Amino acid sequence: MTNLLSVKNLSISVPSAKGRVSVVDNVSFEIPAGKKIGMVGESGSGKSLTAYALMRLIKSPVSIDGGEIFLNGREILGLSSKEFRLLRGNEISMIYQDPMSALNPIMRVGQQIIESIQLHSSVSKSVARKAAIDLLASVGIPEPESRIDSYPFEMSGGMLQRVVIAIALSGEPKVLIADEATTALDVTTQDRVLTLIDKLAAERNLSVLLITHDLGVAAQFSDDIMVMYAGKLVENGSVEQIFSNPAHPYTKALLDSRCDYTIDVNKPIKSIAGQPPRPDNRPSGCVFSPRCAHAEPKCSASVPPLTSSQGRLTACFRSDELFQVGAVN
Amino acid sequence: MGRYLLRRALSSSIVLATSLIFVFLSIRILPGDPVLAQLGAATKVTPEALQMLREEAGLDRPLLVQLFAWLSQAFRGDLGVSYISQFPVTQLVAERLPVTLELTFFIIVLSCIFALILAPLSTLKPGGILDRSIGSLTSIGLSIPGFVFGIIFILIFSLTLQWLPSLGFVPIKENLGQNLQLMIMPSITGALTATPYLVRYLRASMLEIKQSSFIRTAEGKGLSDSRILFRHILPNSLVPTLTMLGLIVGYTLSGVIIIEYMFGLPGIGSLAIEGAFKRDYAVIQGVSLVIISLFILTTLLFDILCGLVDPRLRVSKERQNEI
Amino acid sequence: MRFKMRFSLSGLIVLAIVGITLAAPLISPYDPYAIDGAEPFLGPSLTHLMGTDDLGRDLFSRILYGGRITILIALAATIIALIIGTLWGMIAGVQRGWVDEILMRTADATMAIPQILFALVCVSAVGSSVFSLPIIAGLLLSPTTARMARTAVVVELASDYVVAAKATGLKKSRLIMTEVLPNIAPQLLVQLSINAAAAVMMEASLSFIGLGIQPPDASWGTLMLQGYGNLWNTSWFVFFPALVVTITILAFNSYGERIRVSLDSRKSSK
Repeated sequence: MTNLLSVKNLSISVPSAKGRVSVVDNVSFEIPAGKKIGMVGESGSGKSLTAYALMRLIKSPVSIDGGEIFLNGREILGLSSKEFRLLRGNEISMIYQDPMSALNPIMRVGQQIIESIQLHSSVSKSVARKAAIDLLASVGIPEPESRIDSYPFEMSGGMLQRVVIAIALSGEPKVLIADEATTALDVTTQDRVLTLIDKLAAERNLSVLLITHDLGVAAQFSDDIMVMYAGKLVENGSVEQIFSNPAHPYTKALLDSRCDYTIDVNKPIKSIAGQPPRPDNRPSGCVFSPRCAHAEPKCSASVPPLTSSQGRLTACFRSDELFQVGAVN
Repeated sequence: MGRYLLRRALSSSIVLATSLIFVFLSIRILPGDPVLAQLGAATKVTPEALQMLREEAGLDRPLLVQLFAWLSQAFRGDLGVSYISQFPVTQLVAERLPVTLELTFFIIVLSCIFALILAPLSTLKPGGILDRSIGSLTSIGLSIPGFVFGIIFILIFSLTLQWLPSLGFVPIKENLGQNLQLMIMPSITGALTATPYLVRYLRASMLEIKQSSFIRTAEGKGLSDSRILFRHILPNSLVPTLTMLGLIVGYTLSGVIIIEYMFGLPGIGSLAIEGAFKRDYAVIQGVSLVIISLFILTTLLFDILCGLVDPRLRVSKERQNEI
Repeated sequence: MRFKMRFSLSGLIVLAIVGITLAAPLISPYDPYAIDGAEPFLGPSLTHLMGTDDLGRDLFSRILYGGRITILIALAATIIALIIGTLWGMIAGVQRGWVDEILMRTADATMAIPQILFALVCVSAVGSSVFSLPIIAGLLLSPTTARMARTAVVVELASDYVVAAKATGLKKSRLIMTEVLPNIAPQLLVQLSINAAAAVMMEASLSFIGLGIQPPDASWGTLMLQGYGNLWNTSWFVFFPALVVTITILAFNSYGERIRVSLDSRKSSK
């Protein structure tokens, strides 16, 4: 199986009072064709910036300091912005966080889809309009023939997110990034939109990177899960592995801190002590060590590499001793 | 749209009425006697003659009565009679209004063109050399009195190069070429005073729009920079700028008064100045009414334009809630 | 919440202009009104720094004395606008309700009258003199000041410390004098500076059309008018008053802008 998208040693930094500080640090991962990957992390973990880097939508003062991103075997960070523009929407596209603000408020939604269709294939306006109506229908918008002439303010959040998805699909991309695509929506709409993305991914054989802070959403949707913490990828494995047998103390703590009403209502929710470190104040060694219950002196002395452990990748010195199948709780 | 317009028209007429009352009252309440002014210091007048003149002009009636008389006459298109020349003010204004309208039109068009070139240029690279130079020019432009621009133009184009005449006016109907030739310097002078405001406002609004998520969506589609600028950033920045433009017109009208005077254009601005020199209150009142109405009409016009650009303004709140 | 006066070039220029023009009698090399036989329309030279006018009067001295009148008018107008505008805006902001509505609609209406036009109306009614001009300009500048003061007061009254002070039973009037006014002072300073620039502009414009300061008194506006009238004789003459006026307005504007920027950055860093 080929990797449609592969990221090697991606680093992103922002300026601060102490000079440039790293917000995404040496992150590497792959997305095989047709797979759905979830990327989980708290806000500030660098997951959204990673997504924007894939779209090359990182803007000054934030900058990509190093690394390579291969899309379909082609390195994209080295391309000129003109060359990469031809890939945007066409090879890779994105669904954004807040659908209410992701659309031009004074342009009809149809026009916003049509301009994208016409950009990627030289068809006449009327053909593009027909295609846009079909797209709207395929993302589940009722009466697409009349809805195509609506303005964004005339639609609900769920409908708008469907329009955003339609725009993302209008260039027939191979990779779709969904950045907190359901966060701004209410719970029932969230579920429907997620199911829609799932269905579309299957129909169009898309590779999907789902970025979310919600482990549950990631688990429900993806094949594999990556866990980000403070700009680092700390664990990367299948949903099964991550959930039943986490190999990083942070992943474990995240799982424990979920409020799972189905198990036991009286069981107290564990929270992780402390706060994630700010980018300009990252600890030495393992970034999680100050909050980790299992930290040892070596954890703050050097950075644990992302290594293979029990069939998945994890960045913890002690994962083998701590997380032998079913060892600690 | 209808509701929106109605609401705007209503508030505009309140503003118009209030400001007219101000103009009227400031002339009546402030010391200085219009009748005495009319007679001039040279003539000796008996109190009886003065009283007669007052009655003739209706100045002995209570203020409110005078105000309503003036407003209701004005509403019917009668602005009274000049105290000095005895011409109907409506006629004086009507003769001169086209000049002012032409000048104002050119000023608005030119300043919009200038702003639409300069503001996008300065947002290309915020904080860059181009942006900072345009920013400095804007600050300096805001600090130069309009007529100083006029003097500079006259120095360069009339005095030194002798390309353009510095004074005078030819009606459009008589000779379009000469008319335009004489309008060039006054129009650019006025435009230069209005442009800095527009550039500042448009630049700020474009930078704000540039940060918004939907521009990122547009970039994510793979659209070219120029398409994003012209189809997404500019139309959205125009909405607040158009409202601003209405206010700038008001500011421009102030400038127009002086510009007409210094370039010898027979518009209502120079009519107002002549009226002020001669203390011809009827003329000043009449011109004020026309200029203020003109200003309020243009703000209204720009609000309508806003509604055309921004669909959200066209729809009443009720319909938005329905959907 | 303290406001730090920082050193700034624009502030320094403002101080210098005000200082130099007010000290005109001490500095100026010639009597600005004396027609003492110097050649008319002399170019700039060491004896006459900016040359002489049509009557052979020293332009440099006339600019100094004219500046004194312009700056005094501007300062007086600014203070008048500050007092009227602040009261106007504060009453609106404190009372709210229909008082607020009436006061602010009035401000809107006065702002709909082009300033020069309103000035023409007033000048034609009361005439123009060193006394009437500051009052007219001050009145014209007060609605914008009122609007600004109202916003500032409304924001301050809603802030936590005022709510806390109210809870301790402090009287409203006292609260405004001791708490609100000192806190909106920096914003008033911004308005002060911008108003000063606008007042200089207004004096220059009115005098330029001959409806401001009347000869033999000179102001920067009348000097520009004189220069404009003599454009064909001596094109450099108008250059000096125009330059001085521009620098002065620019300095006042930039100083106001500077305080505003430092206020904004303080707010955003809070």
